[in-house]
Amino acid sequence: MNRELLSKAFGNIEESFVLEAYRPVSGDARSASERIVPMKKKRIVTLALAAALILALGITAYAAWSIHAARQQELRAELKIDENNVSSYVEYDASDEPAGGLVLLSAVNDGQTQRIYVNISPVSEEEASDPKGSEPFPVYAVSIEGTEFGGNAQKYAYDKDTQTLTLECFLPVDNMKKAAAELGTDAVPIFVQMITGIDTSRSFGPISFTMTGQQLRVFDLGNALYHDPETDKDIEIVGLDLAPFGAVWKVHYEGDAALQARKFEDWQAYKPWCDLEENVCKEAKIVFSDGSEFSIGGSQYSYYEDGAVHLWNSWKLSAINIDDVQRIVIGDMILWEAK
Amino acid sequence: MEDGKIISLFFERSEQAIEELNRKYGAAVKKTAANILDDRLDVEECVNDAYLRVWNNIPPHAPDPLVGYVCRIARNLAVNRYHANRAEKRGGNYALVLEEMEECIPSGVNIETEYDAKELGAAISRFLSTLKPEDRFLFVRRYWYADPVAELAVVTNGSANRISVRLFRLREKLKRSLMKEGFLA
Repeated sequence: MNRELLSKAFGNIEESFVLEAYRPVSGDARSASERIVPMKKKRIVTLALAAALILALGITAYAAWSIHAARQQELRAELKIDENNVSSYVEYDASDEPAGGLVLLSAVNDGQTQRIYVNISPVSEEEASDPKGSEPFPVYAVSIEGTEFGGNAQKYAYDKDTQTLTLECFLPVDNMKKAAAELGTDAVPIFVQMITGIDTSRSFGPISFTMTGQQLRVFDLGNALYHDPETDKDIEIVGLDLAPFGAVWKVHYEGDAALQARKFEDWQAYKPWCDLEENVCKEAKIVFSDGSEFSIGGSQYSYYEDGAVHLWNSWKLSAINIDDVQRIVIGDMILWEAK
Repeated sequence: MEDGKIISLFFERSEQAIEELNRKYGAAVKKTAANILDDRLDVEECVNDAYLRVWNNIPPHAPDPLVGYVCRIARNLAVNRYHANRAEKRGGNYALVLEEMEECIPSGVNIETEYDAKELGAAISRFLSTLKPEDRFLFVRRYWYADPVAELAVVTNGSANRISVRLFRLREKLKRSLMKEGFLA
């Protein structure tokens, strides 16, 4: 393979796609006509805006206001926690003194990842600003003290009046379990790092954290046999585990265990079944009482467990109401229906 | 400064043209080169060469939009320098990008001529048009802009592991797409 020509081939894609993906880099002067792909929304909530939000929610007596409470309200609204009945969403008492500059705001477990929202301070506006030039910093990470386990984190919002940076942290559930086993306790000490250069970083915390419970609704779909017209193959749709921010489809097909075990080495054999897996994830719909439909839209990864292939995906924008599921369908087939 | 005014400065052969180009897009051009080349001196030379090429090409060209034009020049120069430098060296971000690109090509297919590269580029464009915008963004950022996976994870609110898996699935989709088009040697 001529790698130089391969590079050129990938470089020959249409200009429109290159421009669509263009991201101005900090340090570039921006013009009003510049297009920015909105992959990540940055929010700056001032004290006045946060206070207005509190009043709009009907809280008339507001004595002990703080940036922590304001951010908790904002997160709850943005993630649609109340309207979608996310009982597993946990908010913490943020009135205590920060532990090493770290305050827990809230957390939710999507089945594969423990999401934790935190405030860290004091963080200067300069420190909290976006990466400049070709350097990737600042980068954020969350770790479990005393272990090698951790996850990544990213900026959610910054308040310059209080010099408080809000981060969204993602700790794999597997890592949390291993850390708890290693430390001999479910209450593990977590800390957050703000890495501002090759050799420079600041740590905030540690603070004690216990993994939150997962809110899960398990649908037994009774081995419904689905024939996929695109691949002309049959697949049994065994079940669906549904959480407010994540889902796992469980399916079974001929030779699934062996195919999953060798899917990277023997792509040709796995390929048609991979297509089938993707089609199920995209085409199957969850229908709610207002008639709206939701699809998990493909899977991030698959694994074989307990006699079935598990297809997992998660989403961030807002929760879904797993208690409001009326039907689960694929094509014309009703997989499940509320009585 | 608007692109049109910068181009006018080039037409007037004003040295301010390069200053304004650098002020507006310098960081993006430098990053495009830096994602491919490990050596800071190589990156600086690549950026300077890109500006020289833009100076020599405008006029008569008046590219619109300007950013795509200058980034593409920088990328091509960086890739050429990368391959010229790489006879003895291994590793680095772009080496990983190249390995991943190779995974997308069905076995038995070889890219041996400029024509092959052009045909493959067109096929990749057709594939990209079938993707959701967020998948297309990820693919182009990784395989055109050569952004490191860790950076993509930060930009897209995901973990590096998830981004790696998404990229893997996109590579597999491209491979299927190329095979479906009968893209064989």
